[in-house]
Amino acid sequence: MSGESLKGKGLVKGASQGAALPSLKAFTFAHGVNPETGEVTDVRSDIRGTNVKGRILFYPFGKGSTTASSWFLEPVRLGNHPAGIVTEGVDLSAVIGSTMAQLLYEKTIPVISGIPRAAYSKLRPGTEVRLDGTSGEVVVRQ
Amino acid sequence: MKSLFNRFQPLGSGLHLDSAEEKILKGEEGEAKQFAMEIVSKVGDAVGAESLVPIKSAHVLAHYSSLHEAGIDVLERFADRGGKFAVPTSVDPASIDLQNWRSFGVSEEYAKKQFRLCDAYAKLGGMRCWTCVQYQVCNFPRQGDYVAWAESSAVVFANSVLGVRSNKITAGMDVACAVLGMTPKFGMLEDENRAAEVAFRLAFEDLDDLDFRSIGFFLGRNAGARLPALLGLPASATSDQIKHLSAGAAAAGPVTMIHLPGITPETRSAASPSEHVGLEEIEITRAGLEDVERDLNQTAEFPDLVAFGVPHLSVNELGELARLLEGRKLKGGVKLYAYTSSQAYDMAERTGISKVIERTGARITQSTDAEISPLKSMGFSTVMTNSAKLAEIVSSEGEIKVRYARQKDIIDEVTR
Repeated sequence: MSGESLKGKGLVKGASQGAALPSLKAFTFAHGVNPETGEVTDVRSDIRGTNVKGRILFYPFGKGSTTASSWFLEPVRLGNHPAGIVTEGVDLSAVIGSTMAQLLYEKTIPVISGIPRAAYSKLRPGTEVRLDGTSGEVVVRQ
Repeated sequence: MKSLFNRFQPLGSGLHLDSAEEKILKGEEGEAKQFAMEIVSKVGDAVGAESLVPIKSAHVLAHYSSLHEAGIDVLERFADRGGKFAVPTSVDPASIDLQNWRSFGVSEEYAKKQFRLCDAYAKLGGMRCWTCVQYQVCNFPRQGDYVAWAESSAVVFANSVLGVRSNKITAGMDVACAVLGMTPKFGMLEDENRAAEVAFRLAFEDLDDLDFRSIGFFLGRNAGARLPALLGLPASATSDQIKHLSAGAAAAGPVTMIHLPGITPETRSAASPSEHVGLEEIEITRAGLEDVERDLNQTAEFPDLVAFGVPHLSVNELGELARLLEGRKLKGGVKLYAYTSSQAYDMAERTGISKVIERTGARITQSTDAEISPLKSMGFSTVMTNSAKLAEIVSSEGEIKVRYARQKDIIDEVTR
């Protein structure tokens, strides 16, 4: 390992890696991410205009509609989903969406929670990150 | 900060299934239940639940605009494999007016997608009351019951006003819980997670329709992951007003319950000042609500759609709308839709409320709601509303402009 390691709790198992996409505000896929492109559309998001596809998405907690897990699942069906999710509080919609993604489309999207905002607030977008959804480890390459 | 992480932190050795539940997981009670148990046990394990508990009712999502093709895959998988809801189950609004969709300019192709979801839902044996205010219409658990409800606004209302216990069960998991009649015991089902962690205090008392929505939104945005109490809400607050407050709160943040002293069954009476001692207190001022209004109000353009009823209006609210509209006529270039449940729609028909509303050129639409209908393809570009939830959602998608204003001011502007 070359780089910093953060330890959270692995909620959905599996390993993945990708470029970091950190948001410091409450986040939702519902009406906030376009499933057909993966683009973040939410005007109240600090990462509006970026794309979640293949990225390791960081946000503190979820918000809004209970439809969020199906808004999570549709980009999975279309191949526009993030490579992994890291949150501070548990976002139930990400846990459910990722669980369904495995059962329906055999896609593994690890979900880790318990990583406080302060721990990733300095993380530069695009930094390579590796997740282990079993151990809850988030490894940031410097 | 105490976070949702603590709230869902596993205490024991993971989820334990009893022998009957293990049999379901092995497929001994059919494929639909097996699929449901796979979802419920995996999610339960992830969030640190130790066991499953029986639920008294469920509320699920089956509208095309949010479920997309993936959601059709999920619902049809349950229905085609012989799934049946094990408990009374209601459903959120559809993406189209199920009676009159053609007259609202919805395409045949779009309607077909919704009807596939309707058919799958019917096959599963759900109650055909397509509403986001099931607690005012068709789904009546009692205080203390465990339920598995989707619809964020209804979950906040259930926990805060009814004393019913529900997590915000999201799409897919909702149907799985309904088919099993069970849900993992975690989060809001546990006593220790239902205590207030931050207090909001209203600095003033004179509240109108918009204030209730904006207060909710303010609370949702500023509570973070903490469970809020709201102090100083007038004792006159109605079920409808708290419904809109709940919707605003859930739209803005992860709020699942709000302690309302004097209203929430498990919160000691409003007269007990010691209840929230030691909590950080955040004051809600006029200026704070004006910030919310500025944030949600994104244009000054004349609207082509006025939408009331996210969440659905009750028949009382339809009556109030009729009173405000009586004797007026809608200006050209704008439509006014009042969104409601089929049950309130029928009541408004029988009592003459509909006639008064429709005489102005406005329409009442049932079984659907504005934030989940295809507004853009129906030809709208600027929506005006007093719903914080609708304003938040529509502006999030970024395709339609939103104006957020008081009901009375909206009516003054769009009628003569």
